[in-house]
Amino acid sequence: MKDKIKSNYSRWLFVLPALIIVGALLIYPIFSSTYFSLTTKHLTKPSYKFVWFKNYISILSDVGFYKAFAISILWTICSLLGQIVIGFSAALALHRVKYFKGVYRILLIIPWAFPSIVIALAWKWILNGVSGFIPNLLVNMGLASGLPQFLSDGSLVFGTLIFINIWFGAPMIMVNVLSALQTIPTDQYEAAQIDGASKLQQFRHITLPHIKVVVGLLVVLRTIWVFNNFDLIYLITGGGPANATTTVPIYAYNMGWGTKLLGKSSAVTMLLLIFLLIVCTLYFKVIDRWEKEDK
Amino acid sequence: MGKVKEKIGSLCCHTYLIILSVVALFPLVWVILSSVKGSGELTSNPTSFLPKEFTFINYKNVIDNLGFTVNIGNSLIIALITTVIAITVSSMAAYGIVRFFPRFGNIMSRVLVTTYMFPPILLAIPYSLVMAKLGLTNTRVGLIIVYLSFSVPYAVWMLVGFFKTVPIGIEEAARVDGANKLVTFVRIVLPLVAPGIVATAIYTFINAWNEFLYSLILINSTDLMTVSVALKSLQGAEILDWGSMMAASTIVVIPSVIFFTFIQRYIAGGMTEGSVK
Repeated sequence: MKDKIKSNYSRWLFVLPALIIVGALLIYPIFSSTYFSLTTKHLTKPSYKFVWFKNYISILSDVGFYKAFAISILWTICSLLGQIVIGFSAALALHRVKYFKGVYRILLIIPWAFPSIVIALAWKWILNGVSGFIPNLLVNMGLASGLPQFLSDGSLVFGTLIFINIWFGAPMIMVNVLSALQTIPTDQYEAAQIDGASKLQQFRHITLPHIKVVVGLLVVLRTIWVFNNFDLIYLITGGGPANATTTVPIYAYNMGWGTKLLGKSSAVTMLLLIFLLIVCTLYFKVIDRWEKEDK
Repeated sequence: MGKVKEKIGSLCCHTYLIILSVVALFPLVWVILSSVKGSGELTSNPTSFLPKEFTFINYKNVIDNLGFTVNIGNSLIIALITTVIAITVSSMAAYGIVRFFPRFGNIMSRVLVTTYMFPPILLAIPYSLVMAKLGLTNTRVGLIIVYLSFSVPYAVWMLVGFFKTVPIGIEEAARVDGANKLVTFVRIVLPLVAPGIVATAIYTFINAWNEFLYSLILINSTDLMTVSVALKSLQGAEILDWGSMMAASTIVVIPSVIFFTFIQRYIAGGMTEGSVK
């Protein structure tokens, strides 16, 4: 009996340090942000006032916020679609080939290892409007009359950023989809072949059901990551030109560290979190249903 | 007929993978090649691949004149200490969840996904306020504490997947021999999941080494800057010296890439396995 009680205590010791860290570094800040979002907190001035929902009202009546929100949504959907299409197709191709599998795999995941600052510098240099490789190559090949300004031309910059984000994010999808593909027992395909199922039917009835939960979860994680992403856009374009790439995180950063209105900035980030919570709840509903179907 | 079709299919796959590999690899190659070219060559010959004159002048500039070694040291210390703390705390927690709170496990992984949802930009505001209050702004300690916020949940999540592979029978045998929980954990379980722990540790290290936002917000003196922020500040220099920037980028990206290729087999699936199964 005594032993049982002791063991009940000691099991908590294993999880306690992590719980404290998560509590102090993730739960507390949420409360703190909620509170500051209702105040006039300033980055450098010590005194502030409690103003209830004034920050929220002022943000929700700012056209700039809606624009940033729309750009965020577009940025997330385009990046995610691209990452999934490329990552998924690469995984299928990789799953199929017999030779050089390991070599391709290593080469293809390299972008994933890049720090965001190096992604930014590398692509800024490759796409540089004066001495960049790609603009000059396009001119030399006769495909462009003047050097294209991929990162400062308002009509090109968004597409360029999406491309860079796909370049960076597709490997993660590929690796995870590939490992899910490898768990599918091959005898199921053999049986299907004997039954005369086409490749497309095999894909629909064997491959997809096996990997959809993993893919679903990946989509949730990537949605969150891409939507919250600050580094890439901040480092490559800083939100410009003329706010063409200002997403909600950039908008919040400019408000908090540019105009120093931390209270208002907190309110923006709270709206961001609420939006993500709603989206993810919907996602999880779908995934839960899939998991139940499997059982 | 079937054989020919098979061959064409495989040829298509190879072609596709080769194109993707070229796109994936090109920036790394280009950064390295640019780092060993002189500044004249960089601007006069933007599309030539191999350097006409191989030079280390950019590296010399980065290390001697820009004091980049200090930043490398900062990043190394911060990433290393973050990793040690995060892995110690997380491997205990992951083991605890798998063995002592099995029912709690599913909720726990949802909680971890939820923490992943917190926008870093949201957390950055309270962090900067709290660190200012504690006098930890512009210190390595402050940054390490903040780095635990993303390292620990992630590491727990990955490690849960690895700990699930340890058969419980082995531990019970040890328990019968009179070993207590901690001894069982350290002597029996840890060695079994060592590869998983090493992979998770390397992944944690890379993420800390690569981090940008918190470092930007919490550190403002040059001699405490991490490599990411120091590189960013190079960009703000008066003359945009691409050769030096590419040399510094090479120094920063090479360790990440090398470590990453080592652990790539382990992180495959580590991310989703911890929670799905």
